[in-house]
Parts: sequence; structure tokens; C-alpha cells
Amino acid sequence: MDTERRVKEEYLEKLWEMKEQGLSTVDDLSLTMSSTFDACLIDGLAMDGLVQLAQDNGKITLTGAGENRARQIIRAHRIGERLIYDIFGGDFEKGACEFEHTNTVQIIDGICTLLGHPRECPHGLPIPDGDCCRNSVKMTPNLVSPVTEMEIGQSARIAYINADDDRQMHRLNGQQIRPGTVIKLHQKYPCFVVECENANIALDDKIVSNICVWSNAPQKQANRKKLQAVEKKRGSWWRRCLGLGN
Amino acid sequence: MSSRSQDVKKILIAGLPNTGKSLIFNNLTGQYNIVANSPLTTLTFKRGALQVGTESFEVIDSPGLNSLYIHSEEQIQVRDLIFSDSPDVIIQCIDAGRLKQSLMLTADLLELEIPMVIALNAIDATARRGIWHDSDGLSRLLGLPVVETIAVQGRGTGELKNAAQKATTGKNRIRYENAVEDGISSIESELPAGEPYKRIKSLLMLMGDPLMFRYLEKAYGASTVARLTQATENLKRRFKGPINQIIYHSRGQWIDNIVKATTRNQKITPKDFSQTFARLSRHPVYGIPILLAMIYLMFFMVVNVANVISEWLNDVLWMPVQSMISGIFPAGFWHDLLIGDYGVLSLGLANALLTVLPILGVFFILFNTLEDIGYIPNLSVLTKRILAKFGLSGGAVMPLVLGFGCKTMATLTTRGLRSKRERFIAVYLIAFTIPCAAQMGLNMSILGRMGTSAFFITFSVLTFLGTTSGILLNKLLQKEAVKDAFIMELPALRFPSLKGILRKTYHRLYWFLKESLLVFVYAAVAMFAADKLGILEAAKKILSPLVEGLLGLPLAMVDAIILCFARHEAGAALVINLVRKGQMDYVQCIVAVLITTTLAPCIANIMAMTKEVGSKNTLAMLCAIAISAFAASGALNWALNTLL
Repeated sequence: MDTERRVKEEYLEKLWEMKEQGLSTVDDLSLTMSSTFDACLIDGLAMDGLVQLAQDNGKITLTGAGENRARQIIRAHRIGERLIYDIFGGDFEKGACEFEHTNTVQIIDGICTLLGHPRECPHGLPIPDGDCCRNSVKMTPNLVSPVTEMEIGQSARIAYINADDDRQMHRLNGQQIRPGTVIKLHQKYPCFVVECENANIALDDKIVSNICVWSNAPQKQANRKKLQAVEKKRGSWWRRCLGLGN
Repeated sequence: MSSRSQDVKKILIAGLPNTGKSLIFNNLTGQYNIVANSPLTTLTFKRGALQVGTESFEVIDSPGLNSLYIHSEEQIQVRDLIFSDSPDVIIQCIDAGRLKQSLMLTADLLELEIPMVIALNAIDATARRGIWHDSDGLSRLLGLPVVETIAVQGRGTGELKNAAQKATTGKNRIRYENAVEDGISSIESELPAGEPYKRIKSLLMLMGDPLMFRYLEKAYGASTVARLTQATENLKRRFKGPINQIIYHSRGQWIDNIVKATTRNQKITPKDFSQTFARLSRHPVYGIPILLAMIYLMFFMVVNVANVISEWLNDVLWMPVQSMISGIFPAGFWHDLLIGDYGVLSLGLANALLTVLPILGVFFILFNTLEDIGYIPNLSVLTKRILAKFGLSGGAVMPLVLGFGCKTMATLTTRGLRSKRERFIAVYLIAFTIPCAAQMGLNMSILGRMGTSAFFITFSVLTFLGTTSGILLNKLLQKEAVKDAFIMELPALRFPSLKGILRKTYHRLYWFLKESLLVFVYAAVAMFAADKLGILEAAKKILSPLVEGLLGLPLAMVDAIILCFARHEAGAALVINLVRKGQMDYVQCIVAVLITTTLAPCIANIMAMTKEVGSKNTLAMLCAIAISAFAASGALNWALNTLL
């Protein structure tokens, strides 16, 4: 039974991807599935009320229920990719394929929150939003959070960037603001200034909120505060007076 | 290519903005191209000659280039030059402190297979920060000659000259993953035969560079481009998600590997005062007092040094000449032509050399110091939020800040703005309310004769005018959807070099004399003729209600306003003369400075405006500027007279 569910889910996943690419016929589906294509399964999906088949033009569309299910699968897959890519690096495709069959919405939402509600998978495809993103729930502490939530003087490694367009991504990449590099926040007002690879860069609020960094784990944060306090006492008096930090 | 003479090789100096390309150019050729610790200093190509042994080279200095994937109009000219002119050698100037950023461009340039040399510049700054570069290792890894230079001090120039002869095409090109490589080669095969630099062009197309397609359309027509677009679209579909992500990832790894193998960082570095100062100067609380202190310092120096020198020169050099000539020609034609109100010697030479030159000299030394430190681009952080109120997004900040140096250059940099609306607002504000360095120096000199409060009032009014016209334009002009992201690199502050500052000041003064000494003299002759023919009298009669009535200025100010159109410095000198003669009071000085600053952008600025926004818009802007200048000055005259 379970394997049949899995196979059906693969079909639903493909149908969602086809929709993203603007394809909609059974022929397209058989092309993308190639050798594993099984016409009987389509009928099975139709019987479950997940897809709708138009007899005359060979179009196949997801029904409301089918779309909901497919959305969950895609979301789980891409969140999974994000998780594996961001934490372990390397081959995220294989792991995520297993991951997408996770049935519990809560787990996916939990991971999504942990990762700071990413908007794109490592391929750059959109991750459908879940309830947690819409309510921006913070039940679990975010491991990844936007630069806007960093403290002045804090350094952090970039986890991922939700770029608005190609041009922006390219310009950020040119400044070496890309996943994996460390940035330090210098000031937030009148506009953000970050230091990355020895260069100071002034940035818009909007871009800064798109750059997400690994935040330090809570216990480390407490530790850091303690260290900062020690450091502050050590800093020269005029720095303390001016509130400059170190 | 065949038209080029066989034995002169072309060397292109390319590199990221603000990496010292112009310094290297100056060192190699012995010419002088203006340099500053700021991006956007060089806007056009400059060529010079270089002789190494028996070989002759033509060296080309270029504006900044971030990568061959172009995302804005301002950088396209460099790529066009590479693609169409095929330089024989490229010297990539790399700021050692920004090695990773620069290697992005190196990766692209290597694909061209043009012999290259790398000038690893400013290694003094990295050494101070505890960063050590293995330039030999870098050279081995890239397969290119790498020369360490400290261009500010001219060090490494000889080695660079020798390396230019030994330039190689490099060997360490990035190998992308197979799918991308297949994509590149299949586009390569689609490109018309004989097209140079096929690989990089294919890569750029795969990355979706819109300007690349435009370039190909011009060269081969729409049908070829349609075919190529189709081919790249088909290829892209093979990838899951955007292909650029994959390409950036490979590049990132390539860069990380090279840098990891060739640099070492000290764990503890000495305290860097310049960093602290940079942070303070951008700070929302401390930044503004620092800015005001800088302006006040300049004002103080102009009043207490420049004015004193200028008055002294006037007494020692000009007075004897004047009395001697009056001795020979007590009155009449020759007296008027030489030393009259519109005399060639008095209005022409003496004003240019004895009044304007010392003021500009002192002011430029100060201004060039600020430029060399790199303070000015840091101001964009402070002004960013105010400019957002004018509907100006990030890109417009730098042009406006640069306007305080040279309005013409600043107007030309607005080309980088993608939104037409923003370009319009920026060009208008630069022309209307921002005084250029020369204007600023002379205004300080005039107002300084009346006291600090006069300076304070005038510049507050100018700021107010700029703000209101910005907000008004923002309200009036149609909204546009294009909003450009603000990503701006701030130059690291540097300790200024005295030699560099003096050299730059010398060249700026030399250019001033070269460009305007004759203008001063011609203007004097023209005014003299107009006066003798009675034209000036008629003009004054017509303008008297405006100048005397509305602005409350002496009628002689008409001459200054007219001269302003020829050359702002000439008009300002005349105002100084009027102050010397005691014909201007406190309020009149303020109004005179306001009207001369706002009314007339110089001819070069008007030309630049025509280039950027078209002649029709320029004309409309000039009319609007003239009306608002008179209205604002009139209002100020009324207000000051009522209040004081």
C-alpha cells in the first residue's frame, strides 16, 4: 500500500512541476516520467479525485484536493533540500526525495521555521508557503534568520539569499555576499553597512532582509554576551563613551 | 584589426571600481588622469603611450568593470571595447584587499584568452591589516604574471612594464559541471562563424545577459538572435532551477580555492584608526557633526588663508600695475580696455590669476585631501534616507554626492540609473542646488567676507531648496515601477599622500587655467565691447526691475550674472570685486551667492545634461532652474530684509 502511495505522490509532484513550467497534457507527463510512466496509475489518481482528465485534448489537471496534496509534497521536498544543502552541503537531491514522503505537516513546518522560512530551494525554485510562513510562527527557535535581526558588531555565516531578481543576485555575488561567506554587521541606520571579505558595503533594508544567516545557538549566544561584556570592559574608555563597540 | 599599425600593442587596464587603475595608468605613461579614493572617478577611456625596450604600447585606462556579465549601462563600454577592439594585453588591476571580489572578473577575463598580467595593487594596506599574499603562488595557480604594486608610491611600475611584455593567456579556467559545459559548447556551435570570444559570449547568453543579445542583434540581425534565444531557452529548461545558481556556485568554489591557497591572515591585527574613523563618519549621530566640522574647516581655511593670500597678491601685484597703467593712460579707450570695469587685465587676467587661483588652490588642497582619504563616498550612507524621500533609490546617491566635486562628471554618472525618472530628478538636483568644488570654494570666499552666519544662512537655504525641489519633483513626475537595489561598496579610508594631493591640486589648477584663462579674457573683451556699444546699458535697463527690484542687488551684479554663464569663476570674481569696493552688504552677498550658484550650471554641465536627458528636457530644466533661482533669491532677499 505504502509503495503505491509513494508512486502516486511522485506523479502528483511531477504534475506540480509541469504546472510551474506551463505544461498540461498526459503526453508531457509521460515524456517527463519516461520509462516509469504507467497509464493505469493516472486512472487511479482520477478515481481518488486528485486529478481531472479532459478526454478531448488529453489535458490533465490537478483537482483542488490533488493540488493541496501536491503542494505538501513539493514543499516537503524543497524544504528537505534546503535542510540537507544548508546543513550538510553536498547531494541534497537524493535525501530530499525520501524526505518528501514525510506525512506530517508539523515536522515540515518545524524545519521550515528552523531554517527561517526559506522562499527558494537550493535550485532556486519557489517553496510553496505553509501555515508557519504565513503566520511566521516562532515556536522553534530560528537557526537561520535575516541580517536585520543581527546585532551590531556581530558576525555570521550566510546560509542563503532570497534574491528578488538575477541582477540583484549577480551584484551581491560580485561583492562576495553569497552562501558560505561570513559577514559582519556594522550599522543599521541610516542604512545597513556590512563588512564582507574586507570590504564595507552599504545596503538597502530590503536586500538585507533577503540575506539570511546562521544565527548562533541560544547557549552560544549567552556565552557571547558574557564575552562581549568582558571585552567591553577591556575596550578603551572613549569607545565605551561613544557606544562604538569593538 | 588589420588597420592597426603592426608594432604598437594595445594594453587595456581593467579592474573593479576604485582599485587604482588610473594610478597604474599614470605610473606607466607618465601622464596624469585624475585619481581619487572613490569609485566612478574615471568615466571615459584615456589613452597614453608606453615604451618598453624596443616595444611600443598604447595604454588604455578604463572605467570600473565588475564582471563581463553586465547589468547596467555604465559598464557596457568597457566590455564593448574588449569585444570590438581586442586589446593585445589586459592588465587587471586588483586591490589586494578585495582579492576575492576581483577574482570574479579574473575568471571572466581568462575566458577571453587575451594575454594578461595581474597588478596586485595596494599591498601596503593589506600588509598593515595582517594579510599576506603569496603572489608567486597566485601566479602559478592562474598561469599569469602577477606583479605586486603600491601604485600610490609608484612602486612596482618597472616590474609591471616588464611583465606586460611577458603576458600570458593563463591556464586555470573554471571547468563548470558537465551539463553547463555542454550548454556552452552547443551555443558556441550556434554562434556565427568568425565571431571572436565565443566561449565567454555563450556563457553570458546562458546566464541571460540581456545586453549580449542586444549586441548580437546589432551585429547579425533579429533572426539569428531569435534562433539563439530559442536555443538557450531550450538548454536552460534542462536545468532544475536557475542555471546562474550553478555557475555562481562553481565560481565561488574556484575563488575560495585560489584565495585559500595563496593568502594567510594574521590572527591579531593592529587597531586600525581609519576603520574607526570611517565608522564614525557614517554613524547617524556622530556622522553629521563630523560632516559639519569638515565643512567648517574648509570654510575657515578659505577665509583665513585663501582670502588673505588673494588680498595680499592683489595689493602687491595688481595695485602697482594698475597705478602704473593709469599713469600712462589716465583715461579713455586704452585705460578702459586694459584696467576699466571690463578691462582685459583687470576683469580678465587679474581676476583669474590673483583672485580666483589662490582661492581654488587652497580649496582644492582641502578637497583633494578628502577625496584621497575616501571620505566623500562614505557620505552616501548618511544621505541615503533623505534621498529616498525624493524617490531616489540607491543608485542615485553616488552621483549626487559626486556633484560636490564636479557637476559635469556627476551628471554623466547618472547613466548608471535604470529608472528614467530617477535620472531626471538627479540631473535636475545636480544642476540646480549642488555647488561644485570650485563654486563651493569661491562661495566660501565671498560669504566669508561677511562672516560665518552668511555662509550658514546661504547653505541652509541651498539645502532647503534642494530638499523641496526633490520632494516636489518626486510628487510631480510619474511613478515608475523600476526600483533599483542599493548595493554600494564603500572605499576603505586611507591615509592621504601629500605628494598625491599636491600633484592633483597642481593638475586641477593647471586645467582651470588652460580651460578658462582665455575665457576670462574673451569674456572681458566681449563685455567691454557690449558696454561701449551700449548693449550692456540696455540689458541692465531691462533687467533692473529683476536685479535691483526683486533681488535688491546693485545693477553691477548684472555683469556677474552674465559672466556666470561663460564661466562661474569669472562671475564669482566680479562679486568679490564688488565686495572689495564696498558695493555689497551682508544681505546682498547672500542673495548674490544664491543666485549665481543656482542660476547657471556651466556649459560643460549643460552639455552633459543634453547627453543624459536629451536637449528638450535640458531646455525645460534650464527654464525651471532659472525661474526657481530668481523666485528663491527674491524670496530670500525679502525675508532677510524683513527679518534683519
